[in-house]
Amino acid sequence: MVSSKVTLTNGQGLHMRPAGTFASAMGKFASNVTVVANGKEVNGKSPMALMAAGIPVGTEIEIKCDGADEQEALDAAVALVESGLGE
Amino acid sequence: MYQGVNASDGIGIGTAIVAVEPDLSYTPTTPESPEEEKQRYKAALDRFIEKTQGQADRMRETVGEAEAEIMAGHIILATDPFMLDEINNRIDGGMCAEQALNEVCDMFYAMFDSSEEQLIRERCADIQDIRTGELAELLGKEVVDLSHLPINSIVVVHDLTPSMTATIDKENVAAVVTETGGRTSHSAIIARALEIPAVLSVEGCCTNIHNGDMCIVNGSTGEVHVQPSPEELEAAKAAAHKAIAEKRALEIFRGKETVTADGERVLLVANIGNPDDATAAVEHDAEGIGLFRSEFLFMDAKELPSEEEQFTAYQKVALRMKGQPVIIRTLDVGGDKEIPYMNMQPEENPFMGYRAVRYCLNNPEQYKVQLRALLRASAFGDIKIMLPLVTCIDEVRQAKALIDVCKRELDAEGVAYNKDIEVGTMVETPAASLIADDLAAECDFFSIGTNDLIGYTMCADRGNDRVRYLYTVYQPAVLRSLKRIIEEGRKAGIMVGMCGEAAADPLLIPVLLSFGMNEFSVSAPAILRTRKVISQWSKEAADAITEEALKLKTAAEVQALLSAAAK
Repeated sequence: MVSSKVTLTNGQGLHMRPAGTFASAMGKFASNVTVVANGKEVNGKSPMALMAAGIPVGTEIEIKCDGADEQEALDAAVALVESGLGE
Repeated sequence: MYQGVNASDGIGIGTAIVAVEPDLSYTPTTPESPEEEKQRYKAALDRFIEKTQGQADRMRETVGEAEAEIMAGHIILATDPFMLDEINNRIDGGMCAEQALNEVCDMFYAMFDSSEEQLIRERCADIQDIRTGELAELLGKEVVDLSHLPINSIVVVHDLTPSMTATIDKENVAAVVTETGGRTSHSAIIARALEIPAVLSVEGCCTNIHNGDMCIVNGSTGEVHVQPSPEELEAAKAAAHKAIAEKRALEIFRGKETVTADGERVLLVANIGNPDDATAAVEHDAEGIGLFRSEFLFMDAKELPSEEEQFTAYQKVALRMKGQPVIIRTLDVGGDKEIPYMNMQPEENPFMGYRAVRYCLNNPEQYKVQLRALLRASAFGDIKIMLPLVTCIDEVRQAKALIDVCKRELDAEGVAYNKDIEVGTMVETPAASLIADDLAAECDFFSIGTNDLIGYTMCADRGNDRVRYLYTVYQPAVLRSLKRIIEEGRKAGIMVGMCGEAAADPLLIPVLLSFGMNEFSVSAPAILRTRKVISQWSKEAADAITEEALKLKTAAEVQALLSAAAK
């Protein structure tokens, strides 16, 4: 398992579009992806779960990846969040 | 008559079509083969996605990109692998697909509904849309079909879902009435985009209004008249025709400069309450933002919004306005605007109490968060800072000193901002009016807040029925105050605007022009009408009527004179 911390900087936090962008990018990896924010753990491949977690802008989240391609998945996840999730 | 939320302007008259949701009831069963049941669900899901994609494509053409995004969002949610896993697990556990779908939708609904963020809670409507759409596919039913409607239909539905909107026969829809939804709901956004009058949140409308009932729907006031009398119907028709004719006639002012009859250029800008309103301002052809009330950021929050959050909101408006001026008023807390986490003490007389710039200057660390956010956003557009409720010069000096501190901090951090950012004041107290000459010497602009200025000048609360008769801009005391503020400002060479409701008052506009006011900030829908009124007055004509008005002794006489002169 590998993990990394990163701060959400996109415009409105994890709403529909950014949650969908993140989840669909993570769906391409075989590893399990978990997002930890404010003590809650949610499935990083699920836009519903990411949105329901209601993570506001400026929150430091931890991304955990576990599986065969965990390092690639983590690198991609961090790069995506840092780039502002396509916004 | 029913009263609902006025969500989309205009008057619609027609016959009610009450669209009842299809019967999506089912008897839970235990499928013999979970594998086949899962495939049955998957096939229904695929059909749902295919239909939704088609609707999104159509909406992109008929309604617009932003609205099509709502449908694209349904696909994001419906294809959620976690959702699919949850449904499949339940089918493996012996449930039929319908029940599994229902339970999982209930679960997500509850998760969204309990969110602290309104934007997330509003997504509950998407869950319902997905549930209805997928259930209909599973059961082989059609969802509400609004694609073929008789002419002048008043569509009465529980909720105008995005999927209904995609197929709606908009040529024949006179108005929309719904049971749920507020001004920011999907129904409202879509109705405004389609320019269909809409009244939302009319409780029980689907049962109280019947198919074939004649209805008058006033999307501007939120009133719905069912089975009106012939006289009411005639009056509504006349009002609707007039409204349409006026709106059409105003279109010739779109894209034009705002100039008086003798070619004097003035600035015509919009008042907004949140970043999304900037879109409406642009749509209505505003030349900038004359008042952006920053309170929304604070009122909707549970704690003080961070510099980053504020910066994002201000930057969004700056970018949307593409270099046009954007005047942002710093936090106007207190009075009637209470913000729980700020721990303001209850006061005997809150309108004369610890509020607005008084509160902010006494909490400099907190104020700096907003000032830094404003400065940073000024790198992205023509942002100007406006101080509310100023009563003495010290307040302007203190605020400017604090802005200088923030500038030095940003310099040290190497953060970009507009070094020449303008700082002005709201002029909304008799005190500010009396020292307008001194204030003008230290401010970059004035913006007159007539709503408070009238109240404080006349010492009359317009919310109080028994003294409201005193509360009018035509009072000679108010007119003299306006004259003084505008003339002193212009003498000092600064811009003098007005962001109160009076700026859009066609009777008062010649008086304001005569005094020399050169910025009018009005609600977005009043932009074109105000541009038209301004174009009708020359300096000479405005001066003549104003000279007469100033000789009069009573508000009634002033109003009568200006009404008679109005064009």
